[in-house]
Parts: sequence; structure tokens; C-alpha cells
Amino acid sequence: MARPDRIAFVCPRYAGEGAVGGAETLLKNLAIHAAAAGIPVDFLTTCAQSHHTWENNLPAGVKTTDGLQVHFFPTDARDVPRFLRIQQSIDRGRPVSETDELFWLRNGVYSSALLAHLDRHATDYRAILLGPYLFGLSYFAALAHPRQALLVPCLHDEPFARLTCMKRLFSETAGCLFNSQDERELAMELFTFPAAKSRIVGMGLDPFAVDSTAFARRHGLTAPYVLYSGRREPLKGTPLLCDYMQTFRERSRRDVKLVFTGSGTIDAPPALRPHLFDAGFVSETEKHEAMAGAIAFLHPSVNESFGIVLLEAFLARTPGLVHARSRVLVSQCRASGAGLWFRHYPDFENQLLWLLDHPEARAALGSRGHDYVAREYAWPVIERKFMEALDAFAPRRA
Amino acid sequence: MSENSILSIGAPGFNVDRLVADLQATADRKMKAGVYADARVARAEKTNLVNLRGSDDFVSFYLTCLREAVFVDISDFEIHERRRFFTPLLVAFKKAIWKILKFYTYRLWSQQNQINGLIITGLEGMEEQTAARLAALEQRLARLEQQASGHGSP
Repeated sequence: MARPDRIAFVCPRYAGEGAVGGAETLLKNLAIHAAAAGIPVDFLTTCAQSHHTWENNLPAGVKTTDGLQVHFFPTDARDVPRFLRIQQSIDRGRPVSETDELFWLRNGVYSSALLAHLDRHATDYRAILLGPYLFGLSYFAALAHPRQALLVPCLHDEPFARLTCMKRLFSETAGCLFNSQDERELAMELFTFPAAKSRIVGMGLDPFAVDSTAFARRHGLTAPYVLYSGRREPLKGTPLLCDYMQTFRERSRRDVKLVFTGSGTIDAPPALRPHLFDAGFVSETEKHEAMAGAIAFLHPSVNESFGIVLLEAFLARTPGLVHARSRVLVSQCRASGAGLWFRHYPDFENQLLWLLDHPEARAALGSRGHDYVAREYAWPVIERKFMEALDAFAPRRA
Repeated sequence: MSENSILSIGAPGFNVDRLVADLQATADRKMKAGVYADARVARAEKTNLVNLRGSDDFVSFYLTCLREAVFVDISDFEIHERRRFFTPLLVAFKKAIWKILKFYTYRLWSQQNQINGLIITGLEGMEEQTAARLAALEQRLARLEQQASGHGSP
């Protein structure tokens, strides 16, 4: 029997509608490129913009945007106090019952309207791509239609990945599309599933050319600056970044500014605030300009499955400085030869000073990064990998 | 840090691992020389401690930094006023408040300093003791492994 051609993407938020997030951006871009390749695509998401409150800020309904049919569904009501209590236990590594695990997932982000839509239209879809793994919406949708479910887990080495219920998710879905070899290895360590059930796809990046002085000129930045782009929260390591930069400025007496783009509040020491510039949520062009003008792109997160912003910084010819505990980011720095990694503050200070004092070496590292991303993450390369995964796990003939 | 690493960055076959290893070795040497034994480093590392649990040397290094931060500075300091109006009056007022409160706060702070000092000494002692015990156990394990493989004396 021939399967339909149409595919669905399920993601708790739609990137760009006031929401910022790597997994959301990745799924959206895969969907856009699948649609551009001639595959009919439905993007199923919620009306929420904030991954803290999951409040319905956007109107429900269907909207055509970025060449996609995006279906917005309302999120369900949540028992936040109990959700947070369970989350705290998981975070601290305390034992949590399977009932509580499921309660936690059900009360994170969940949309019975979206799941009902999937139930009604499941047979219309050749494959349902879902992610990230740790949200109830992806979890319950995948297990409701496991034979069509292709998980894009965006897996991190974090306590949530060790929940008992996650074993079922990874073992029952038809296939997994990982972003990197390191993410796949982590999944193999944590769950038991055959290697043949997984593919490495990732996300493509379009080349760009920007003026590396434009961002600093527009915002009156006269001192050199380092940049972080993305969500600002403890899990992403931004408090560590602020503490390190404050200490770096005090100890080295170098006037290096810290620039942020993205969303979320920044918890910075008072003495750093005059030397911190928060550009907030900016356009892609402005983000790329900010990257191109930076001394280095700093990525202090240890929980990454794919460093999209790091690769974008490489494409902007800017070297990376990442945390040594993030095996995915270190692996990207290693493969590209365009980034350094620090274990602790002494490493950070030493490496940032080195980057500041060696502009030619910095340019050479940036150039290596640009060539690496242009070669390995060009969209035609990623589209081919995506189509191969689709054919392997959801062949047209069932 | 070898200049060769810098020169070869643009060359084919360049290995960034070597560059990072060079830079990390420089940082390690400077740590040993006491360049980072600084209260500000201890403060900067507070959010990174969870990532350093696997590092053998880091706890002792962190305690060295903490030793620099442990005592609250209770000495007098120069009092400034940033407001442009009534500046001398405001400075005099602040100085008076400082003098009045000093009698009470000095006692509290000196007690806090005593406690901080005792805690850090205790922590350092525990760390030294644990390190010595681990070293002895590792030596014993190595000896036993050697005996078990039949290469050591019975």
C-alpha cells in the first residue's frame, strides 16, 4: 500500500513568532526545506511563545508563513506547583515514580487539541517528525503514532534524559534523526535501540555576507566585544558567562564588552552592567553582523545537542570559545578547527587573552570555521541526509 | 604556548587540539604558580563547580582561591558621595552613621571572620586528608594488581 506524501512536524513552539530556541529553529528550517523540495508539509504547534509559562499568546488556527501551513493549537491547563515539585526532584537526581514522570510530561506543554488533530489525520501523513524529546507534546504524540513517528530528539546529557519513560519513547518510535554523532552516541549509551534506527541529519545554514563593523557602529560600541546569542538562562550557562566576564575585566583590566542577543533576563553582577549590551531579539542579519564583529562567540552551555549559533558564528568568520564539558560543542570546535574550549576560569582568561592578542590567528581560526560550515552544513548536503532518513524510516510503500 | 601552533593555524593539517592543549598547559602552570589564587576567581567559579566535580586538582585550587575571599574586609574606607548637592553634608552624615554602627558591626564581622577562617581550615584539612587517603589506596591497589598479575613479590 502506498503511503501519502504529506509529512507533519510537531513542535511545542514555532520559531520566530516571538519564540527563540535551537530545536524550534531546527525543526522549522527542516520543514521549510522539505516543503521547498516539493513535499507537502503541515507544521503543528501550540499558541505558546514562552517555554516557562506555556500561555496561549498567539491566536489558534492555520496561518501560512515561511511557505508552510502552520497550525496553531491551544495548550492545556497545567498543575504548575506539582509540575515544579517533580521537576525539582528530577533535577536533583532524586528517584521519581513513573506516574510522576508522566504527570510531569503531561503538565509541561500539552495540547489535547493538537493530539486530537493528529488522531483524525494520522493516516494522511507519511511521517510525523517530532521534537525535542523532553516535552510532553512530542512524547505523547510520538507514542500515539509510533510507526510514523520520527523523533528529532535534540538530546542533552541532563537528568530528564534519564527518566524511565524516555526508554519507551526511544525504543518505540520508527526512527531517530540526530544532529551530531556525539548526540547519537549519548543516546546509544542511555537507551537501547539499534543503530540502524538512527540517522545524523542536523540543520543546514545558508551562507551570508555582512559588514563586520555595522553592529558596533549602529550601537556605538567602540571597545572590542564578545558575543552570546540565544536564550539567557542558567541551563545555557549565561550566569557563568557574566561571572567570568566580570572577573576577566577586573583581573585583566581590558575593556572588553559582553554583548547579548536573544531573549530572557540576564543575571549579571552590578559592576558588569555598564559593560554589558543587550541587543535583545534581533533580525537574522543583525545577529550575523554582531557575530562578524565579535572577538569571539562565547557558548558556555554544557547541554547542547547541536550548536546552531556556534556554527553561524563560524560562518561569520568568528572563532568560538566553548565549555569543555559540552561534548557536542567541543566536537564542533575540533572538527572545524575554529574554536577553543575552557574547563574553568583560568582557561577562560588565558584563552580570551590569547584571542585578543593574536588577531591574525583569530582571523585564521574564523576562516577555518567558515570553510567548515560552508562545506559540511550546506543545505543541499542536509536535504540529502533528510530525504535518505525519510526514505529509510518512512518509505512511500508501507 | 608555542609560536608554531599560532603559525600553523592557517595551514592544512592544523590540529586545534594541540593549540588548546598548549593553552591549557599554560593555564595549569600559572595556576600552580599562584597567578589565579584570587577571591574573584573563587566567585567566578561558583556556577562552574558542578562541572568540575571530576577534576582532581580543582578542589584544592578552589580552596586556595577561597582562602583569599574568606575574610570580610572590616577596615575603614574612604566615604564618597556621587550626588552633586549637599555633598559635604551627606559625606559627614555617612561618616557619622559608620562611626555609630562600627561598635556593633565590628563585633559581628570579626566573629564572622573567625567562623569563615575555621570553616576554610576545616575544609582544607578534609581535602588534604581525603587526598592522602586516596593516594594510599591507589598505591595499595596498584601493588595488589601487580601481585595478582604475578609480576610482584608474593
